[in-house]
Amino acid sequence: MEQALLAFSHETGIFDFMHSPWGWPVVESLHFFGLSLLIGTVGVFDLRMIGLGHGIAYRHLHRLAPIGVFGYVINLLTGTMFLTSAPNQYLYNPAFQTKLGFMLLAGCNVIWFYSACSTQVRNTGDYLPVSGRAKLIAAISLISWCAIIICGRLITYYRPPYHWCIWC
Amino acid sequence: MAAISGASILHLFANLEETSLSILLRESGVAFFSSLTLHSLAMAFVVGVNLALAFSLLGLTPSLLNKRFQPFFILHWWAVLLIFFSGLALLVAYPAKALTNPVFYLKFTALTIGLLITWRLQCLVRDQKIDHSRPGNRIHSNIPIAFAMLCCWMLTIGAGRFLAYTHSVLLASRYF
Repeated sequence: MEQALLAFSHETGIFDFMHSPWGWPVVESLHFFGLSLLIGTVGVFDLRMIGLGHGIAYRHLHRLAPIGVFGYVINLLTGTMFLTSAPNQYLYNPAFQTKLGFMLLAGCNVIWFYSACSTQVRNTGDYLPVSGRAKLIAAISLISWCAIIICGRLITYYRPPYHWCIWC
Repeated sequence: MAAISGASILHLFANLEETSLSILLRESGVAFFSSLTLHSLAMAFVVGVNLALAFSLLGLTPSLLNKRFQPFFILHWWAVLLIFFSGLALLVAYPAKALTNPVFYLKFTALTIGLLITWRLQCLVRDQKIDHSRPGNRIHSNIPIAFAMLCCWMLTIGAGRFLAYTHSVLLASRYF
């Protein structure tokens, strides 16, 4: 897998770009930009569902979602650039593995939201609270994104081969 | 003269690096990691809210510029306070690394201008001089402000990331 990722990185030119003097910091900046877009849209919507910003229409804040998706796409692309440029530093890194776990949790949570209560939330009156289930989904989302940021920071501190990892 | 002045500044940073607080913040994994993580979390929230406001000014999203958004502004300023204290902790841990790097001043300037714009917007919303929740209240003069906000926050993020790669001095105490 490591070799396949590296080969992909070399073939697409990602490796050369990432190992240029500007590559890594530029992509890190874009990664943080994408993350901020997510927090500024999905995070604000989650906080609204939990009860902050009484009176702000849920349906209005929900229309910020496409920007959050845009931020997520930026993060996915830039994250792929990191992973393929130095796969051995990520694949065997427990912080990265935990980060992926929380990303999976956040993804499942989004599916739960759209399958269970998105219509109900959008139709909830501006001054009314959302259901307990919607609040739980919002809390899981906030916790997941905070954990993703924390794990992202921890990646540097758990560089292999000094630490344990789930599949090695 | 410039060399003497530079040396005395480095000496000052070296003295600061030798204080117990600086050593604790630098050498205790928990203290340094906590400062770094809190800085990132707070920065993500502050930048995120400001980007959402900028998109709102551009008309790309429903408006957030009305008095109902005040609780988010309050939370935003708490996060700014967290950025300030966590940033200060990181600065105390490695004073020479940041203060000898022009990129740090770029980040600080962009951050300050970005926050001043947000503060001004919040005042206008509070005084009900702008309320985009009313129909027809969006004005074209908002567009330069929105672009200024986007530039400031992208510069803040970029400079913050480049700080880790562009420093010429890590610890001033190594020179003495």
